[in-house]
Amino acid sequence: MTRNLVPMLVVALVVVALYYPLMLLANVPVAQQALDNGAALECKTTVACASSLRSPVLPAPMQLWTGFRSLVLPLTAPTSILPNAWATAGNTLLGLLLATLVGIFFAIGIVASRAFERSLLPWVVASQTVPIIALAPMLVVVLGQYGVQGALPKAIIAAFVAFFPITIGVAKGLRSPDPLALELMKTYNASDQQTYLKLRFPASVPYLFTAFKVAITAALIGAIVAEISTVGFQQGLGRMLFENSRASDVVSIWVIMLSSALLGILLVALVGWVERWVTPWQRAR
Amino acid sequence: MATRTLNPAASQSPLLGAVLTLLGFAVLVYFIASWWNHSNPASSGQKLLIGVGFLLGALGVARVANYLSRVKTNPLVGFIPAGLTLLLVVSTIEALLRAYQVPAGLIPTPTRVLATLWEVREVLLKDAAQTVLLEALVGYLIGCSLGVLMALLVSRFVFLERGLLPYATAFSSIPIVALAPVLVKMIGLDWPSKAVIVAVTVFFPVVVNTFRGLTEVSPLSLELMRSYAASEAQGYRWLRLPNALPFIFNALKLGTTLAMIGAIVGEFFGADGKGLGFRIQIEAGRFGFDIVWSAIIIASIVGIAWYNLVTWLERQFTGWHVSFRE
Amino acid sequence: MVFQAGTVALKEASLEIGSGEFISLIGPSGCGKTTLLRLLADLIQPTSGAIRVGGKTPQEARKSRAYGYVFQAPTLMEWRTVLQNVMLPLEVMGFSPTERRSRAEKMLTLVGLEKFAKNYPWQLSGGMQQRVSIARALAFDPQLLFMDEPFGALDEITRENLNLELLRLWRETRKTIIFVTHSIPEAVFLSTRIVVMTPRPGKIETVIPVDLPQPRGFETRETARFFEIATQVREALRKGHGFEVQE
Repeated sequence: MTRNLVPMLVVALVVVALYYPLMLLANVPVAQQALDNGAALECKTTVACASSLRSPVLPAPMQLWTGFRSLVLPLTAPTSILPNAWATAGNTLLGLLLATLVGIFFAIGIVASRAFERSLLPWVVASQTVPIIALAPMLVVVLGQYGVQGALPKAIIAAFVAFFPITIGVAKGLRSPDPLALELMKTYNASDQQTYLKLRFPASVPYLFTAFKVAITAALIGAIVAEISTVGFQQGLGRMLFENSRASDVVSIWVIMLSSALLGILLVALVGWVERWVTPWQRAR
Repeated sequence: MATRTLNPAASQSPLLGAVLTLLGFAVLVYFIASWWNHSNPASSGQKLLIGVGFLLGALGVARVANYLSRVKTNPLVGFIPAGLTLLLVVSTIEALLRAYQVPAGLIPTPTRVLATLWEVREVLLKDAAQTVLLEALVGYLIGCSLGVLMALLVSRFVFLERGLLPYATAFSSIPIVALAPVLVKMIGLDWPSKAVIVAVTVFFPVVVNTFRGLTEVSPLSLELMRSYAASEAQGYRWLRLPNALPFIFNALKLGTTLAMIGAIVGEFFGADGKGLGFRIQIEAGRFGFDIVWSAIIIASIVGIAWYNLVTWLERQFTGWHVSFRE
Repeated sequence: MVFQAGTVALKEASLEIGSGEFISLIGPSGCGKTTLLRLLADLIQPTSGAIRVGGKTPQEARKSRAYGYVFQAPTLMEWRTVLQNVMLPLEVMGFSPTERRSRAEKMLTLVGLEKFAKNYPWQLSGGMQQRVSIARALAFDPQLLFMDEPFGALDEITRENLNLELLRLWRETRKTIIFVTHSIPEAVFLSTRIVVMTPRPGKIETVIPVDLPQPRGFETRETARFFEIATQVREALRKGHGFEVQE
């Protein structure tokens, strides 16, 4: 990691250095057009206008900074990013938990029963290739009609999106033990239950975490889409995104996008951190 | 050999299974037909009947599946249990929705969805053409080619590997929904904005996977190339690229799903009046769930077909790989 | 004995093994020596024929946990520490926590790995891992020990050291050991009797008693008698056309 630091910083600097001219290049035509139309702008030159447009193609660094400050401060205000990101993270993790429970149940079914595998596995696999997220707007409405409210409908949708990678991952993990290890359990005359507890479940933990890393991003997308589709006054990044998108507040959308990106990275990092803590036997890579 | 718990009762003939399955379906179809024009909820006895039909069908399908899993058959026959399961679940849902008289505005019955699908097929096909051919496919092709090129560069220059790759890994965990509104605002409501969203989403996994394929080459093979005094380009041509192919195809397969999701979610944030995502968003807002389901069915069929097309290509190009043996 | 699907894997395998013996099954690949061991351990079932393990059928023997089995590979659970790996059979068999720990620690001392109790398997060399798996097989104190080419994947030097150690364990614990190998020196050095098997169909060619004096040490391998018996085994193998390339 440390040997990557210098090259990563250099790349970051190059991106930052390139950003400003790129921003001007993208915004100048818009600004020019606005000036030509005689719009009442506070700026004089095209360049000055390009970095202070209300709907810039690319926001200027200063705009991002002001936008960031106004969205983050005060920290705990219901309209600021922190509590909303917290709510979204909560929905995502609750969804992941639900998805794990259901996923493990299905995975055991697939591993333990050939009939179950034959009749359901093709659909679980096919569903991986289907844009499940398209169901979200409808699910929110249907769940709302049946009185499922609060964080639960969002968690259910997040779980719905995240459940498939977890099922496949756990099923793979339950099947991962070496045939010799299974025979070893047989020489101990271990019961099926003991074989699952002592062999198959521990063996599937690393697979579960690999699946988590895919699933948590999916769950986050599910949670945000669910928040967008929910009507009401609940909090969440999706809600903010939707409101600012409707108000065409471009700078705010950028700030929310960057925050969601950060949240995604943090959640994946969280999974990695928990993984290292739960599976100490994994060789450090 | 001893990898799973065998069912000791697995030696029965499949005949009983087939009979049970038929019986289950007969019960369900009988109920659906008898309740076709009713608008009042069914009695609890009739609801019990649906449960019995489902149970009979499930037991039957389980037996058929058990039997088919013990005899070697071609994949088409092997698919029978899965097909039966889908049919069983769909007919049970149909029967239950009719028995409880769930309003069609809330959950439409499967037959109603199919009827709607047929009615609005022209609109939906236009939507699909917009979403799939223009947005998803164009974005996918651009994103994948750029991804492979970037991986080639990154694998060639250690500096780029250390400076860029960590970002690529981090960026692949960004939720596209957050990216979508920004790009739509930046590029416009027309299809190119969605194509860019798709390109961005498929780009990162392709880079990460291709890079792994190009670099996870056995040291012995590298030494072999060295002993031939092969140039760097030859090393890529004869060793690294073939080695990367399975990895690239994995990313391409993952990309098909990401592309469909990217295009559909992108349309949630603005479209020019066409597209599957746009249709889903609009119709979900006004309780036109039969159309929503129709759009989802089309999206699913496209998604599965696209994925299988890439799998077929993979088989043509990497037939030698371990995963295709046996 | 006729194996499933009609393939004759083992034919005319008639053998009686007394308590406290060290028996080696030797032969080329495909002669059915592993099959015979797996039959004894009830990991597979014969289509015909009768086997008795201490007066019981193999299945009864397995259910009463009468034997320990050491596989070709160490098959340690990578998520368990060395000590926890040795405790695994004791957990499955319902020993009390204190008993588990004391027995496992004793076994680790017996194989000389008490210092590595808290390490994970990947931190150990192949030979050390195989010693852990032997400790694990002995942990619940079965009278019988089945070993299926346990040192086959190790280098010659490690293998000779472990052979010596295994003999010491055998003397100290008075177990009956049935040992599958394809190394002639290993079989001669370890065994009280050598069962020579030949392929196509798998059958017992001959049984050669080994009268080398106990306790044996490194010098045993250099005695004239050692070479005589090794030659005897080699000739028996050749007589059954065992030198042909199999599989």
